[in-house]
Amino acid sequence: MVPDSPETEAFVPHLEGFHLLLFWLSLAAYGAEAGFRLGGVAPTSVWRSPLAAGVLLHALFLAVRWVLSGHAPMAGLFESLTVFSFCCAVAGLILCREEETTAAWKPLSVLVLLPQAGAALIDKRLTPLYPALDTPWFATHVGLSFLGYGFFAAGLALGAVHLRGGGEAAYRAAGKSALYGFSAFSAGMVCGGIWAYYAWGSYWIWTPKEIWSVIVWIYFAALTHLKFIPAQDGWPGWTKRLEMGATAAGYFVVLLTFLGVSLLLRSSHSF
Amino acid sequence: MDSRVPRRLWSLLTSLKTCAGLGLLFCVAGAAGSVAMGRYPELFADMDAQVFAGWFGRKGMTRPGPTLWLYGLLLSTGLLAVNAACCTAERLVQILRGTVTLRRLLPHVMHVAFLGVVLSHLLSALYGDRIPGVAVPQGGFAPLGGTGWVLRLDRFDAVMAPEGYPKEFSAAVTLFRDTTPVARGVVRTNEPLFHEGYGIYIRNFGSTPWGAPYAVFDANRDPGATGILVASLLFTAANLAYIFPAGRTDA
Repeated sequence: MVPDSPETEAFVPHLEGFHLLLFWLSLAAYGAEAGFRLGGVAPTSVWRSPLAAGVLLHALFLAVRWVLSGHAPMAGLFESLTVFSFCCAVAGLILCREEETTAAWKPLSVLVLLPQAGAALIDKRLTPLYPALDTPWFATHVGLSFLGYGFFAAGLALGAVHLRGGGEAAYRAAGKSALYGFSAFSAGMVCGGIWAYYAWGSYWIWTPKEIWSVIVWIYFAALTHLKFIPAQDGWPGWTKRLEMGATAAGYFVVLLTFLGVSLLLRSSHSF
Repeated sequence: MDSRVPRRLWSLLTSLKTCAGLGLLFCVAGAAGSVAMGRYPELFADMDAQVFAGWFGRKGMTRPGPTLWLYGLLLSTGLLAVNAACCTAERLVQILRGTVTLRRLLPHVMHVAFLGVVLSHLLSALYGDRIPGVAVPQGGFAPLGGTGWVLRLDRFDAVMAPEGYPKEFSAAVTLFRDTTPVARGVVRTNEPLFHEGYGIYIRNFGSTPWGAPYAVFDANRDPGATGILVASLLFTAANLAYIFPAGRTDA
């Protein structure tokens, strides 16, 4: 939490209102981006788009919320969803900058908007952190995992674009989305393992969330190997299509891990 | 025996298609397991209360139906490790005969790290120890499983928020063998006390009927934990080195 001197205490309600304003503005920007894209209106550059403005506002919102709450804004469903949305947008900005990959923004803008819109429906009050979460491993584990999720979301958009006749650029970018996402997610798992070892006494606990996390890891580990299967090795000529289909489908494996486990299965490891 | 059989077997073990198939098997088995865990809580609730080999020997064999997914998980993990080992063995020979570059070696460094994680986890699953739920009142003693140690809770402190949740809590403890203190420290959330391979963790706290505070501890030993940490860091370093070279177009 912010320091509790009389001056700052008087300032906090204004700051809380301001940071929620930033949230709603970023949601509006993402909504505008998705609306334009779905309506067939594409900005001349992604850097001069409502989405870029939304990402800036969103980053500022997260920074102010971090200061206000005193912890990384990644605890609870509201913060998880809004960070997921932010990471999808950032992953898109990293991977979909070329002219050949801009077609991916049409689905990706929706994938950025949906979690943010979902977050808008949830209680946004600042909440204290449970003692076990009060460690730097919390931010690194959750942050890197969501960064991975963001790349996997970009993979859905890029994979879909390639499957619908997109060129080599979309294929390469989709491959990068799987590799970058896998790398970020792996690093997040390492941080999570270290944290669990210090907090709960073991780097591994048998819960549905842990099992699904390893499913995501194995899924994308296998996926990153697909492109190296030689075509002449009896492997069908549709290797690329299979790889892109699997890249796109990976997003739903991620969704099951992120939301499905928490909402459908009983797991002590959820929000 | 047909001389082509060993060659075909080797080809199968080093195949990327085998890797993809085993990955799929792992995902299906894991997904089934996540559902089975919720459906049979009486069977799976105590999985973390003992090391995996002990639990699996006791329950996996007696209830093969609901634990079938674990067989799939173990089989696919073991075969993925064999697949990675064979792939690296074969490719390393090719790499060392040709031009050795860091970029060609890095995927195999990741394979070796993956093997390190699997083997270290096997070590923990076989030779680890779990002593869950040791409740000790302040000033009291409790034995720690079969370690021969006795844990004394010297002092318990909790800082509660106005809303009623614990902001932080800590336990000053002393570990004895017979009557000799062998370790002393303060255990907090995320800060266990380590002694001779065991970590002592504070799990819960409360008040006894006569008003004295008590704390509940777990004591765990994971002999593979260091191996897993080293292998994981090796994997991460190789992974970062693999994705960051400038000008990569074939990621």
